[in-house]
Amino acid sequence: MADQSQEITLLETLDHLLDRGVVIAGEAVISIGDVDLLYLGLNVVLANVDALARTSQK
Amino acid sequence: MKSVVIGAHLQRDDVEPIAVAIPVSGLFLSAVAIADDRPLGDRDLLLQVADVRARLLDRATFVAIRYGFAVHDAREAETKCASRAPQWRALLLAHRDEVEMTLKVAASAPAPRPDRHDFTSGADYLRALHASASTADIDQEFREAVEGTIVPLATSHRWSHRDRSSLELSMLVPRSDLEKMRAAGEKLRSQFPKVPFLLSGPWPLEVFADDHQQ
Repeated sequence: MADQSQEITLLETLDHLLDRGVVIAGEAVISIGDVDLLYLGLNVVLANVDALARTSQK
Repeated sequence: MKSVVIGAHLQRDDVEPIAVAIPVSGLFLSAVAIADDRPLGDRDLLLQVADVRARLLDRATFVAIRYGFAVHDAREAETKCASRAPQWRALLLAHRDEVEMTLKVAASAPAPRPDRHDFTSGADYLRALHASASTADIDQEFREAVEGTIVPLATSHRWSHRDRSSLELSMLVPRSDLEKMRAAGEKLRSQFPKVPFLLSGPWPLEVFADDHQQ
């Protein structure tokens, strides 16, 4: 029973780690010789379909 | 080296020496430094970050950043996070003494998963999948008991559908009321032994990190 509780706790912890919180969109500044030449805003999301659908609904 | 970011904090002391503190617009990101070639999917790294996350929350409430965001230096962190700093600061000041708790409840009648063969387009199938996740409901008597026992202990709460088989209640709870919340959970368990549910926490600001949108 104790082992089962620990497994639930670990699963719950990983669920919160991987599927909650603020998602930061990637951004990149392309530089040559310390001079910023081009700024790119990237919105790259890797998620399962259910998680993506929930997020898009908000 | 790169830094796997865990959260956004009000003070440097909220982060160090548990994790690396990266200054961003007057706030501090907590992070774990790893080798550039170490994959973020590494099991031991995940467990390490989960452990650090829990220890940081013991220190002070923070805004959780979803796992997978990594930066190479403070300049990159500033570039990617500066625009969010005012919102995070407002959240951290407003909820300094609160944490999140989560109550997951199994649906009384889980919604069936749509069969992809019933759809002619992928878009329709995805929409049906999403819709099916929003129809699950829980035992009404249990829900009323939750509203009468657990919810009053929260300063804010919201119900949400996360999948076809459960409903989730996210709550903001004063740290001083965590024991009362757990006791209320135990009382619910004795009152409703046949309703599968899981009361978990404390967690950092995750669901409520979307508040104070600018």
